[in-house]
Amino acid sequence: MKKTLTAMLTLGLAAGPALAEGTVNVLTWEGYADPSFITKFEEESGCKVSATYVGSNDDFAPKLLGGGGIYDLITPSIDTTALMIDLGLVEPLDTAAITGWNDIYPKFLSQEGIQRDGAYYGMPYVWGAIAFMYLDSAFPTPPTSIADLWNPELKGKISLWDDKSSIYVAARKNGDMDIYNLTDEQIEKAKAALVEQKPLVRKYWATAGELVDLYKAGEVVISNTWAGYQSGLLKAEGVKVTEFIPKEGAEGWMDSWMVVKDTPNKECAYKFLNMQLSELGQCGVANVNGYSVANAAAAKACMPAEQYAALHQDDPNYLDSLQVWQALGDRFEAYTNAWNAVKAQ
Amino acid sequence: MIARAPRNLSALLVLGIPLLWIVVFMLLPYGIIVTYSFWLKSYPTFKPAFQFGNYLTLLTDVQYLQVLGRTLKISILVSILSLGLAYPFAWWLVFRCRSQALRTWAYMAVIAPLWVSYLLRAYIWKTILGTEGILNSFLMSTGLISEPSSLFLYNQFAMVVTLTYIFIPFMVMPIYTALERIPLNLAEASADLGMGPVQTFLKVTLPLSTPGIAAGFTLTFCLSFGDFIAPFLVGGPDGNLIASVIQTQFGAALNWPLGSALSIVMLIIVLAIVSLSDRLEATAHTGAA
Repeated sequence: MKKTLTAMLTLGLAAGPALAEGTVNVLTWEGYADPSFITKFEEESGCKVSATYVGSNDDFAPKLLGGGGIYDLITPSIDTTALMIDLGLVEPLDTAAITGWNDIYPKFLSQEGIQRDGAYYGMPYVWGAIAFMYLDSAFPTPPTSIADLWNPELKGKISLWDDKSSIYVAARKNGDMDIYNLTDEQIEKAKAALVEQKPLVRKYWATAGELVDLYKAGEVVISNTWAGYQSGLLKAEGVKVTEFIPKEGAEGWMDSWMVVKDTPNKECAYKFLNMQLSELGQCGVANVNGYSVANAAAAKACMPAEQYAALHQDDPNYLDSLQVWQALGDRFEAYTNAWNAVKAQ
Repeated sequence: MIARAPRNLSALLVLGIPLLWIVVFMLLPYGIIVTYSFWLKSYPTFKPAFQFGNYLTLLTDVQYLQVLGRTLKISILVSILSLGLAYPFAWWLVFRCRSQALRTWAYMAVIAPLWVSYLLRAYIWKTILGTEGILNSFLMSTGLISEPSSLFLYNQFAMVVTLTYIFIPFMVMPIYTALERIPLNLAEASADLGMGPVQTFLKVTLPLSTPGIAAGFTLTFCLSFGDFIAPFLVGGPDGNLIASVIQTQFGAALNWPLGSALSIVMLIIVLAIVSLSDRLEATAHTGAA
């Protein structure tokens, strides 16, 4: 389904302006190259945008390693950006050529994952929380803790993201709060907790659409989620769900645009970066995906007050309360291996 | 001399094209996978080496054997279920269905789904087996159950049902072909010699259709064995199959060496099944002669 959708969207975009002067090929998340704002960019810049969508951060490296030269721009999350630099897949940014660079929240510009040897490799774009979500009708008393995903009374009604993030969730439930520096022993404990939870799980969700389907079909009532996105889709379908940040806290994520090494379409790529950081791109993506954006000034200028508040753009404490994803480096394997072992059981 | 040159050229073309095909699309990719399987995972990617660590991991880390065992179980169940459904159907088509038109239509009814997208067919089973799906609505309307059951979807049962539905044409086709080749006078001869219908079936029809069964079993088994869409769409938390694990190793884990080693193990299992089935077919042929 996803592939068909992607192909259709790519075709839709490819059928854009006929008088294109250049092209820019982006490998990104759904919504980040949505026609609602990309069409305007194509008309103004003369650059044709061709978008391919990923379902996971794990798709970037294999797609670029397995015969590159196709994509000009990518948008990995902050736990994957360092890997892109380590693999030599991306090049340093000319930040002087990006208008609005200094309006980006300092918290994002200070992230280590997008820098190397004094140069920036990633342009912060959007951010959000890995919040939790429940079906209103199933909870007379709203859940407040991660432990609610381990409640035997909800057997067969629980879903969890099929990602190494589940290790972070289980670790916090165990009281291990330094989730990006877990010891082998702590990972083992998290694994045990996930194995214990497994009989209660209906399905591990892999894509946004899948989680929406699970709620819509009445299969699950509680899960984690990409804050703003799936709940927005569900509300549009008339399914009443509520997001919450459990007392054990939540992970935060931030996606950055990176320029693929030696791209031949540099001119269009930088036009595209400028657009994405401008009001057009920032409010464009916020309206499509319901994510918070990285450019403080643009957000203030183009968002209605209500949306500005709902997306926590004015709330630095909210951002600080999130444990922003970090690159796991050589510990990456220990985390993914533990999660694979849980799934194998 | 002049006449021989074009003949050499055509010989070269006739032999060369398939040879080139085999080298480029089979030997080369397999060679690359075999090579990778001896390499070493090393952040951020992997480095060339010659060691058996990846194969050792597959044997010592219990998660891989678990998934392999589960995949074997599911594939065998799918093959047995397909055989149980396909054989009587094919037998009825060949020996009992009098109307040629009905036979064509019934045969097409089984084969036609092959022209529908695989993904769509798997997806449809979600809407049938779901908690608020068609099966539950039906059972509730008949009064057999009072509230929707969640037992039909997101488990191994759902995977076996879906895979059986998807791959059963590959069981029907070879069995139908094998049964159709059996001369009708053999059954008459058997009856003349005093054999009952059951004995005739067991001693004449069944042995003569063994090659079809072997071919069908091999096809359904190998196709189910390498499937990763069904576990993704209708499988539950306990539904991880070997192909999904390989996909994870090439994707999420970025451990191509381990993924390659797994692929090689899978290839060996599939080749073993194919050669076993070949041998069975050969025995059936000599037995018949």
